[in-house]
Amino acid sequence: MVELNPKYLEDVPLTSYSDNAITAIKTGTWKYVQPVYEDKLPACSHVCPAGNDISKAMDLIARGDVAAAARLWRAGNPLASTLGRVCPHPCESECNRRQFGGAIAIHMLERFLGDSSLDESFLPEKARPTGKKVAVVGAGPAGISAAYSLALAGHEVEVFDDKAKPGGYLRTGIPDYRLPKEILDRELALVGSLGVRFTCSTHVGKDITLDDLKQRFDAVIVAVGFHRSRPLAVPGEDHPNVYNGVMLLERILAGERPELPSPVAVVGGGNTAIDVARSLLRLGVEPIIVYRRSRLEMPAIPGEVDEAEKEGVPFHFLTAPSQVVVEDGRITALECLKMRLGEPDESGRRRPLPVEGSEFRLPVAGVVTAIGESADLELLPESARDGWRVAADERFATPVDGVFAAGDAAFGDGTVTAAVGGGRRVAAVVDRRLGGRELPAAAPSLQKLWQRPVEAAHPVYVEQLNVAYFTESPRPQIEEMDAQARRSSFDEVVQGFTDEQAVHEARRCLVCGTCNECCNCLFFCPDVAIHKRNGVVGFEIDTEHCKGCGICVEECPRSALTLVEVES
Amino acid sequence: MRMVVKGNGAVAHAVRLSRAQVVSAYPITPQTSIIEEIATMVAKGQLDARFIKVESEHSALAGCISASSAGARAFTATSAQGLALMHELIHWAAGARLPIVLANVNRAMAPGWSIWTDQNDSLSQRDTGWMQIYCESSQEVVDSVIQAFKVSERVLLPTMVVLDAFFLSHTFEDVEMPEQEVVDSFLPPLELPHKMDLAHPAALGNLVFPDRYMEFRRKMDLAHDLALGVWDEVGREWGQLTGRTYRIVEEYRMDGAELVLVTAATAGSTARPVVDQLREAGVPVGLVRLRVFRPFPASILRSLLGGRAKVLVLDRNCSFGHHGIFHQEVKSALYDLPQAEQPRVCGVIAGLGGRDITPDDLEEMLTGVWKDRITDPVTWWDVLSAQDPAKAALAMS
Repeated sequence: MVELNPKYLEDVPLTSYSDNAITAIKTGTWKYVQPVYEDKLPACSHVCPAGNDISKAMDLIARGDVAAAARLWRAGNPLASTLGRVCPHPCESECNRRQFGGAIAIHMLERFLGDSSLDESFLPEKARPTGKKVAVVGAGPAGISAAYSLALAGHEVEVFDDKAKPGGYLRTGIPDYRLPKEILDRELALVGSLGVRFTCSTHVGKDITLDDLKQRFDAVIVAVGFHRSRPLAVPGEDHPNVYNGVMLLERILAGERPELPSPVAVVGGGNTAIDVARSLLRLGVEPIIVYRRSRLEMPAIPGEVDEAEKEGVPFHFLTAPSQVVVEDGRITALECLKMRLGEPDESGRRRPLPVEGSEFRLPVAGVVTAIGESADLELLPESARDGWRVAADERFATPVDGVFAAGDAAFGDGTVTAAVGGGRRVAAVVDRRLGGRELPAAAPSLQKLWQRPVEAAHPVYVEQLNVAYFTESPRPQIEEMDAQARRSSFDEVVQGFTDEQAVHEARRCLVCGTCNECCNCLFFCPDVAIHKRNGVVGFEIDTEHCKGCGICVEECPRSALTLVEVES
Repeated sequence: MRMVVKGNGAVAHAVRLSRAQVVSAYPITPQTSIIEEIATMVAKGQLDARFIKVESEHSALAGCISASSAGARAFTATSAQGLALMHELIHWAAGARLPIVLANVNRAMAPGWSIWTDQNDSLSQRDTGWMQIYCESSQEVVDSVIQAFKVSERVLLPTMVVLDAFFLSHTFEDVEMPEQEVVDSFLPPLELPHKMDLAHPAALGNLVFPDRYMEFRRKMDLAHDLALGVWDEVGREWGQLTGRTYRIVEEYRMDGAELVLVTAATAGSTARPVVDQLREAGVPVGLVRLRVFRPFPASILRSLLGGRAKVLVLDRNCSFGHHGIFHQEVKSALYDLPQAEQPRVCGVIAGLGGRDITPDDLEEMLTGVWKDRITDPVTWWDVLSAQDPAKAALAMS
């Protein structure tokens, strides 16, 4: 038998290996495509009207850095605590976690972040003073948001409001059981700490003119919102027991406990109608909601409608009032017509059409009107009005030079989140103007205002994810006050998350489109061409050795990597 | 412990007793129940191993190669088309000198599609550098898998343990299952000398220029030479522990044999009573069953067959355009004998695609060779032929 290791073979290893060829051969020259880390827009943020950088904040909470997440959130959003409570959270309807146990409770985490950052240490750093001055008309969410971003940009901001306290509809229209006013006050204090001056009880257009403001300030932003209740236009409407919903809410929110007869018909299907009905319930009055279309067409936040139903508010759908019936000086009924739904109207909702001869009487002792609000635009010249709204273009500019507009008065989006987002964007436009630069063709998208270069063109939907890496994990139960107990209390209905709940929930976030350092790419790279450097966030691709096989792209659970062609 | 197990079950138990650490496999009839049993053992905690489900045999062996490179004891099993799909990595495993053990259930290659036994699948991998061992019984399967790990880990070459489809894989037999302590004393944990070492990063299987390649191949060949002795030594050591000694080739009634039947696998079981019967009838027949086929035991065969009058090699395989594969291998070994000692060698190809090789067939073959009725170098046994009117009629029907 031959000896295994004859002399001449001694130096030959058992099998071929190289401890120096790894880097010597530039295998990267073979590729025609290469992976790049892309910060893509998650589906949630794509639809967030306030422009919150959701997935990034979720990732920070999941890693236990709540402070960093809160700072990120407050980078452009002064009303995190408020929005966490009142936002209809369209983000959750788009959340890619939906089919793996239920959407992330983003609104609860926004509230958690907001409530965790109600002091000045969480505010972004202010830019150096610019010496420019901006007047904001209206201290509602759009005005507050614009003032916040402009103050951070170094401008001097004064906010005018006709009410005694700032907050706009947040203070006068959203009941305490949804938004405790101490939360609003603390967020307003944060805005004030940036040097924003609130000049209240001052009605622009009466106490002071727009021209005055134009002279004293370098720019004016009109964000007066919708406060005027539209009338029902039916006989009997002038009876003292027919109430204006907006004003009624304002009185209740100011601490009044008005005595109303019972039952009361609340006419309308928007948030005001729901808020009035739920508030009246808490005052011991029996509300009945009367709405001319069906539940599907209600403009109110669906979750709020659900809550009203849970609390026992009855609904009459496809019902429109035709007369307030007054007998012996007292309201005895609301005469109504049954409606049916026709073709969609300009709002996209199906138009209600009366059913002939369907009159009936709903026995009530009072009526609240909540069929929509409009803006008080008396401060503006005719040229700056466009029917019910402020005439403003895509850059928020009105025909009056130096005057901009945002919020419901200009766009009528009807949500606090849209107002906050609008405030942020108008601030970006005004800031550009104050910097002496031309106005852009359109206001920047909210994601363009983020401090990271997000690829905003392609939101990441579930089709782009490698779902093999995601297992089902249930959405948590959200703690609520017992429906019966709510009838006698304006205390907050929904309870917030504890730290533990928040971290647990944030860990369910798939962090779509953004690298969260899961290391899959690094593990799978057959060329060992992906490296993690200490202290550097994310990974580096060694392009000299990456052959462009694309395995990392395929195995990235969250579509944070993309293959791009190599320029030859 | 005595157990009644199938050949496939015997493989699974041997893998468990050998404490394989990684099993990476893809199912294929008739191998499937091997990996099903192993998966169950892993799931039940009877075998502390990582069972990797893969999408193909190519990946199955790739998984074993990776695991083995990292120093883990790795096992896989396959059959026919699955083995063929592994082919590229079959070479790799041997070239990388990894002591992987693979159980191949001999199954005929398609087309025509067949799930039944013949040896062309494993013999097509003859020149890859793997060791091959052909088993006759479930007992031999158990013992051979355990021995295969030991020999592979000694000489650093992978081993293919081969068993016939159905005749062995799915036939229940009485087996003496060795105790774990016995196997542990026989088979120490794997210490792979060239395992991956994070402290010394290296590219494995890198480019080798013409000035070095042959040396690696020469070392593989030398390892095969060494392995023959190791198989013999390990087979005896196993005999001391269990009372079951294994030889590289098994001989039966070779005293005074003038006609020797050379075959492998389960045909050996069929042959033994036929040999007895013919001996009683005065025909001086002996049997040699090839067990270790690679490394090839040429000198052993020369000493066993030199000076006999006739040798009949029964192949359940064919190298198309030439002879049966065992036949040509045996004949080439005998060429080194002095001419006077060279027996006449006839080959019979039989039992392809799972056709039965019955005792009657064997008796007819051996008698035919003994009485010079069969003199052709190669005979295809029992094939429908125009010269046979009865069979031709059958073919027409």
